Amino acid sequence: MDNLELLSEYSLFLREKKEEGKKVVAFISHDNIPEELLDAAGFVPLRLMFAGNDELMDASHDYLSPSTCAFAQSCIGLFSIKPSHYRFLDIIDYFIISNHCVSDICASEIISKYFNIPRLNFYISYTKNDNSGKYFKLELLDFKDQLEKISGIKIKNEDLKESIRNYNNFKKKIFEFSNLNIIGSEKLRVLQRAMLYGPPFLPELESHIQMFKENQVQKTDNLKGILITGGSIFLNDFLIDLIEEAGGNVIFFDTWVGYSYYSQIFEDNIIDSIENPLDLLVNRFKNNIYDDHSVPNFLENKISQIELVYQEYFKKTGRKLGIINHIIKFCDHISLMSSHLKNRLQQKGISVLNLERDYSKANRGQLSTRIEAFLEMM
Amino acid sequence: MKICGVDIGSLETKVVLLDDNNIIDYRVGRSTYDFKRVGNNLFNDLLEHHNLKKSDVYIMSTGYGRNTIDIADDRITEITAHARGAQFFFPDVNSVIDIGGQDSKAIVISKKTGNVIDFQMNDKCAAGTGRFIEVMSGALEVPIQDIGDLALKSNNPASISSTCTVFAESEVISLFAKGTKKEDIAAGIHKSIARRVAGMAKRIGVAPLLVFCGGVAKNIAVKEFLEQELGFEIVIPVDNGKSIAQLTGAIGAALIAQDQNNG
Ligand code: SF4
Repeated sequence: MDNLELLSEYSLFLREKKEEGKKVVAFISHDNIPEELLDAAGFVPLRLMFAGNDELMDASHDYLSPSTCAFAQSCIGLFSIKPSHYRFLDIIDYFIISNHCVSDICASEIISKYFNIPRLNFYISYTKNDNSGKYFKLELLDFKDQLEKISGIKIKNEDLKESIRNYNNFKKKIFEFSNLNIIGSEKLRVLQRAMLYGPPFLPELESHIQMFKENQVQKTDNLKGILITGGSIFLNDFLIDLIEEAGGNVIFFDTWVGYSYYSQIFEDNIIDSIENPLDLLVNRFKNNIYDDHSVPNFLENKISQIELVYQEYFKKTGRKLGIINHIIKFCDHISLMSSHLKNRLQQKGISVLNLERDYSKANRGQLSTRIEAFLEMM
Repeated sequence: MKICGVDIGSLETKVVLLDDNNIIDYRVGRSTYDFKRVGNNLFNDLLEHHNLKKSDVYIMSTGYGRNTIDIADDRITEITAHARGAQFFFPDVNSVIDIGGQDSKAIVISKKTGNVIDFQMNDKCAAGTGRFIEVMSGALEVPIQDIGDLALKSNNPASISSTCTVFAESEVISLFAKGTKKEDIAAGIHKSIARRVAGMAKRIGVAPLLVFCGGVAKNIAVKEFLEQELGFEIVIPVDNGKSIAQLTGAIGAALIAQDQNNG
C-alpha cells in the first residue's frame, strides 16, 4: 500500500473516532509527549510525522524564516496548503505546544495561532537530572489538569495505568517486529503506521509479525547493513528508497521513529505496583538517555548504543555496519554534535556518513551520490 | 577487452578509452540537457575512430549523469572514480579535491588499502564550484578561460565575504563600480572559492599528497589559492605535459572496471 492510501485510510480512522465523540490532539512528533495521558482522558493523539517537499517548505516561509528546520517548515506548510490527502488536519481539536527544540516550539505556536487550533502546553527541560525530573512531573500534573478541564473527565490512576499498559504492550510488539529480518523499507513502513495509529494498530501489527515469521521471503544478505541515527525518516520520505536503490538496507532505526520510541517500555510488575502512574512517566523521561535531550551525556550514550548495535551485527553477520547520521537541514539538535559523533565513531573504526538535507527534490541526485559513495566506501 | 570510462558531469562529459592501463584516446563535450545523447555520441565517435564495436568495449559510467546512460555495463560514483583515477597518476595519493561544474568534493584515501575512507561534498549551492567562477566571469565580463590568469596578476586581492553566489555577484558588481581593479576582484573571487573548498576539505583531514582534479583544476589561480589556504602544495594529473585533471573521474571509472574484470 502506498502512502496516499495510508493517509486516506488514516483520515477515515480519525473521522470514525470523531463520530464516536472523541477529540483529536495533534503534536509535532517527538519523544516525551505523554500519549498515555491523552489516551486516558479519551483523546486521540495525532502525531505529525510527515516528511516535507518543496511546496510545503516554501509555503512555510510566509510564517517563519527558511532557517527553521526543514521538518518544522513542512509541518507549517501542511497546515498552510492542506494538500488533499491531509484534509484530516481540519478535524484537529487541540494542538500541543512543546519545546523539544526551538523549531518545534516556533512551529507549534504558529500552527496553533494562525490556523486557529486551541493550544495545550507541555514543556520539557533540556537536561536530565533530579531537578528536571521534578519539573517534568509538574508539567505532567499541569498537562493532566488541562486535559481534565477540556474533557470534563477526571483521569483516575487506574485509567492512566491501563493506558500505560496498553502502550507498553504495543511497544513490546513493535520491539518484537523490529527484530525480524526484513528489508528496511518494509520495517519502516510498518513502524510508521504503528506510531501513527498507536495501540489500535496492535492486531494489524500482530498479523504482520505472523506473516513475516511464516514467510520471510526477503533476502537481505546481499545488501549492506545500515544504522540510521539522527533525524527520523518520516512518512512520504524518499530517503529509504535511495538507500535501498544504492544497495543498502537499514537494519536499525536509532531515531525517534524507531528505537527511541519502542524501547521506552516498563516491566509489567512495576506498572502494577507503582502508586502514582505519573512517576512511571517521570522515570521514563529520566531513563530516556539516548535522545538529544539527555544532556549532559547525550553523545556518550549515543556512541555506546551505536557501538553495541555495530558489534552485535558484526558478530551475527561478520560484516561491518555503516552509520548514516541523518541531519535534517537547520536541525541544530543533530547537526551541532554531528562532527563529534562522526569523529568518535571513526576512531573506533566505524564508518559514518553525515547526511545533511532538506526535503527538496533537487537534492535527490546529490543525496544518492553521497549514499552510493558511502556504500562503495564500506 | 578494451575498457571505457564515461564521466557525465553536469557541465561536461568525458569519455576515455583504456587498454591495459594505457589511455588510448579520449573525448570531451558539453553535457547539455541531453546527457544520454552526448555520452552516446562521444562514445560512438571513439569507437569509430578506433574501428571498434560496442561489444569490444566494457563501459563504466560515473558522474552526475551516470544513471542516464543506458550503454553502460556498470556504474560507480564519481567519488570512488576520482579516488581511483588520482591513484593511477599518483600512487602515494592521500587526498583528492575535485571541483566540477556544479559541485565540489574532498576525498581521503587510505594509504594502506587504497580505498576511500572519508569524503565530503558541498551542498546544492553553487559556491565552491565551477558555476561560481562562471557566474563571476560573466559579472566581470572576462572569458572564463582567462579569469585565472587575470587573478594571478593581482597584488592586492579584493575581499569577497559572501559565500552565496547571488550575494557574491552583487558584491563583485559593487566593487567594480567603486573602481576596484579587475584583477583584484578576480583574485578575490578565486580566494573565496578556495577558502570554501579548503574549509570543507579540512573538515575531513585532507593532507599531502593531495591531487586536484575536475574541470576547475584547469584554472591555475584556484590551484594557487587552494595551496595558500591548505598550507601545502597540491598536484594535478598530467599526460605528456598537458593537464588531464578533468579526465580523472573517467579514467578512474575505467580502471575500476578493469580491476573488476581482472577479478
Ligand atoms: S528535526 Fe530537529 S530542529 Fe526540527 S523539529 Fe525535530 S529536533 Fe527540532
